Amino acid sequence: MELNRRRFLGLTGAALGAGALGKPSRASAARAYQPPPDAYGCLVDLSVCVGCRKCEQACNQVNHLPEPERPFDDLTVLDDKRRPGPEAFTVINRYYTGRRDERNQMAPTFVKVQCMHCQDPACASACIVGALTKKPNGAVHYDVSKCIGCRYCMVACPFQIPAYEYHDPLTPRVRKCTFCFERISQAGGKPGCAQVCPVEAITFGKRSELIKLAKQKMADDPGRYQPQVYGEKEVGGTSWLYISREPFAKVGFLKLPSQPMPHLTETIQHGIFSYMWAPLSLFALLGGAMAVFNRKRDQGEDRS
Amino acid sequence: MSARRKKFLTVWLVGVLVGLGLVLYAYQGPVAATPAAPAAPKPFDPVAAAKKWQQPPPPPPPKVNPDGTPWVPVDQVAALKRAHEVPPLVVKTLEETQRERRLRLGDKMPKMADMKYPYLVLDNPMVNKEGDLYEAVRFMHKKHAAVLEGQCFTCHHAKPAAKDASETTRCVACHQSSFNPELPGRLGLKAALHRQCMGCHEKRKQGPVGCTDCHAKKVPDHRKLVKLPDKPGPLEVTKECLRCHQDAANHLQSAAHWQWKGPSPFTVNGEKRIDMGKATNTINNFCVALPSNWPRCTSCHAGYGWSNAEFDFNDQSRMDCLVCHDTTGTYSKVPTAAGWPFLELDFKKIAQSVGHPSRKNCGDCHFQGGGGDAVKHGDMNGILYYPSKSCDVHMGGMDFACQECHKTRNHKISGRSLSLPVAEGSRTCQDCHTNKPHNGNSLLDHHLNRHVEHLFCVTCHSPVYAKCRATKTWWDWSKAGRKERKPKKDRYGMPDYDWKKGEFLWKESMKPAYAWYNGKVERVLLGDKIDTSKVVDITKPVGGFRDPASRIYPFKLMEGKQAADAVNKLLLVPHLYGPGGFWATIGKTKTPVPDKVIDQAWNKAFVKGMAESIKVNPNNKGLKPYSGQYQWVQTRMYWGLTHETMPAKAALGCAQCHESLAKDKTCCRCHKDERHVDFKKLAHRGTDFEWMKKQGRDVHELIGKTDYLNFKALGYKGDPIVYGGRLKKLPLASTIDRECK
Repeated sequence: MELNRRRFLGLTGAALGAGALGKPSRASAARAYQPPPDAYGCLVDLSVCVGCRKCEQACNQVNHLPEPERPFDDLTVLDDKRRPGPEAFTVINRYYTGRRDERNQMAPTFVKVQCMHCQDPACASACIVGALTKKPNGAVHYDVSKCIGCRYCMVACPFQIPAYEYHDPLTPRVRKCTFCFERISQAGGKPGCAQVCPVEAITFGKRSELIKLAKQKMADDPGRYQPQVYGEKEVGGTSWLYISREPFAKVGFLKLPSQPMPHLTETIQHGIFSYMWAPLSLFALLGGAMAVFNRKRDQGEDRS
Repeated sequence: MSARRKKFLTVWLVGVLVGLGLVLYAYQGPVAATPAAPAAPKPFDPVAAAKKWQQPPPPPPPKVNPDGTPWVPVDQVAALKRAHEVPPLVVKTLEETQRERRLRLGDKMPKMADMKYPYLVLDNPMVNKEGDLYEAVRFMHKKHAAVLEGQCFTCHHAKPAAKDASETTRCVACHQSSFNPELPGRLGLKAALHRQCMGCHEKRKQGPVGCTDCHAKKVPDHRKLVKLPDKPGPLEVTKECLRCHQDAANHLQSAAHWQWKGPSPFTVNGEKRIDMGKATNTINNFCVALPSNWPRCTSCHAGYGWSNAEFDFNDQSRMDCLVCHDTTGTYSKVPTAAGWPFLELDFKKIAQSVGHPSRKNCGDCHFQGGGGDAVKHGDMNGILYYPSKSCDVHMGGMDFACQECHKTRNHKISGRSLSLPVAEGSRTCQDCHTNKPHNGNSLLDHHLNRHVEHLFCVTCHSPVYAKCRATKTWWDWSKAGRKERKPKKDRYGMPDYDWKKGEFLWKESMKPAYAWYNGKVERVLLGDKIDTSKVVDITKPVGGFRDPASRIYPFKLMEGKQAADAVNKLLLVPHLYGPGGFWATIGKTKTPVPDKVIDQAWNKAFVKGMAESIKVNPNNKGLKPYSGQYQWVQTRMYWGLTHETMPAKAALGCAQCHESLAKDKTCCRCHKDERHVDFKKLAHRGTDFEWMKKQGRDVHELIGKTDYLNFKALGYKGDPIVYGGRLKKLPLASTIDRECK
């Protein structure tokens, strides 16, 4: 069958008409995603953490990470601000916010940093092969067998958590906190860091319960906490939640919108592709341009 | 002979001659050397020394009581058993404020006297499941209650809702495993303990908050970490240890156990010096001093091969890690091999099972001081490997390792002694037991706590020393050398004579000498002038009746006779051990040994001993070479007694020192007679020497003794209850004749 211009335009029109007949709702076309309702979470009480780095040590052990350069009982590493990396899925940072203790000494606030396991993870949204997925138990899980190493997740993460094994040229992986996926999938399993914490600065449980617990703690001791559960609303909610004595902005937490990151990106992206309007208009534009130019050429030929 | 043959022979001869000439020209051996030059000293041969010793490495001390039954640290085992119980979980607690609770209880508030468990171990399998990095914590329950002045509710913050539940229900009843979904917000046991302890310590600004201040770190399994070939030597082991523990070597390098000298803050006129110690200038009245006797003395050095004055203390490869960190109990040093161990030991196995030191590691040297078990220290001997509770309440009852009191940081071990100037920190009983250690909150405790200002704890809490094994109290070197004299066994089975060493006296269960002591020590060191006409105090505690910093301390008095330079008036160092030493010279002589030979042997020993002493103390102006004339002087050393504390009920009682309380009239002179307290019983109970005698202890002289301390000798007019104390007079003399009732 010969496809001439007339026929092509006709077919396009038919397709457009068929698309318009479906009339799906715009929002659901962009965001059909629902966070897992029964997810686990961890509530970190920064006013309790003593900065002992046992969570780092436990994380290292349960994930079989390489021996650190400086031992875990060396607390001088806290002098620098660190980020999680391919060899440490969680780190403790120390902040001096100006608060003074009863001895008039600068009181430190220790902040545990790791993957927040977003309810609506941007990394999973950005991953083009589905290597990163939000699991029903709350973990944002990384499947190395699917990963192609594009590192879109690293760009996408609002907390800049995923790290890449740049030192490994052949089989590099994206590394980040696993939420001890295997451990918490078992009955009674706890994440390594939460289990080892000597003061239970980390409480492990159902996310919904933890939010209740956090609110309860605030109600019981309002002077002790900022009236905010960090992670309850940030980027649509995270499985890891924080409560703090100090303003979150002072202890290294980013101010983030309550809308999940994928909401914007996926809306744009899905919007572009809904009803195929974007490619269709592109082809229509190209077709129109071609038509105009061809006509001009035809006319020119005629003139010559 | 053909011409050709002649030519060949000539050439051959010339060649040989030229060759010989060249060889002679090059050779500059004994012909060139001066005959007077001494031959270079032979390097110390540990293999030969071990062979000469002829005995196999000793087996680990058996973990049994003297009667052969298995040894059990009773208090520790009981506390651990209790700690490992898991009672049913308390779900509901009574909802009330502390004020409501006090109102509810009224007079029924729990009291100190209600406390059932004065000693606890904070341990539970539930906690260990959640992380097993540290050892369990010993917890002085009663002491904490005393410090909190009986405010039990500071820790026991809630009562279970059940009516019959105790007001002081234990932690584990409510706090069990963490993150129980049924009880959101309820802390697990581990967190509850940590928060309670650390929170309170921080709030009250007292008590430890660091991990290793309460816990000992668990040593990781070294079986996979230690990589050694089969049958490694000791030096290979050290190299392997330092591969990971270079810091430890750096720390040990400046530590007393390696240097055998160091800071001496408690020595009079030595407060700023760092050069004093066994390595250089200390002297005693046992085997006298180190110089010239190295290989024998340094068998207790935490290093290998300190056999002469030239030992290199910067050579970390010579450090002996295993002597302190072996946990197999098999590691052992040859007693005469300059610190080298028995080379037939399985060093690989030992290196792979390293851990924290135990009483065995420390004891192998510190119990054996002076050349044998119990010789030197009056309060430390082989009994303490596995002592009974009645012998030492800490080590026997609760299985304390040495470093639990002698806190160690960076291989610097705290603690001090009278015998040696080096101190890397100081420890006292009060560090744990506080200045008010008698915390029963009773009438008697008030009086006992006032004793703390004037008495060191051990003075009452261990009224005899060398309780279970006789220690040497007299050593007369002037009698040495008589090979013909047959040693006799005394009533403890100890020999009264050894031709190598002289005459001895031994004593078991000895009443200490008491003296005022403020922590400072006067010492006679190598090169110090002495008065040879008097008894020379080599170490002497400083203190006095009027000195508020002084307290009455118990001491072992070690007396003996040793040699002094009759001209230079210096204590002499004899060269005893090794070729040319006193022992070797006499050993070669036929029995009976003539006086002249002994005299000559001594002279030879002193020449070498003093020469080597000068070598290791080049800046000591007082040291002089041996003059050629020696004399025997009587010397005395005070040895502090700090170990072998007995259970509280075995401490000296009131009436055993205070004669004024020995009869019928006791507390009632000042206090109204109270029906529920038997004053006489209170004042008259104390150390039960009758019981000790029945146990086979040599204490018959001490039974029924009053004025145990001898107040007059200490500077009091008499019993302080009657005549008043040293710093203030109590108005008690007037009441002394008051009638009771």
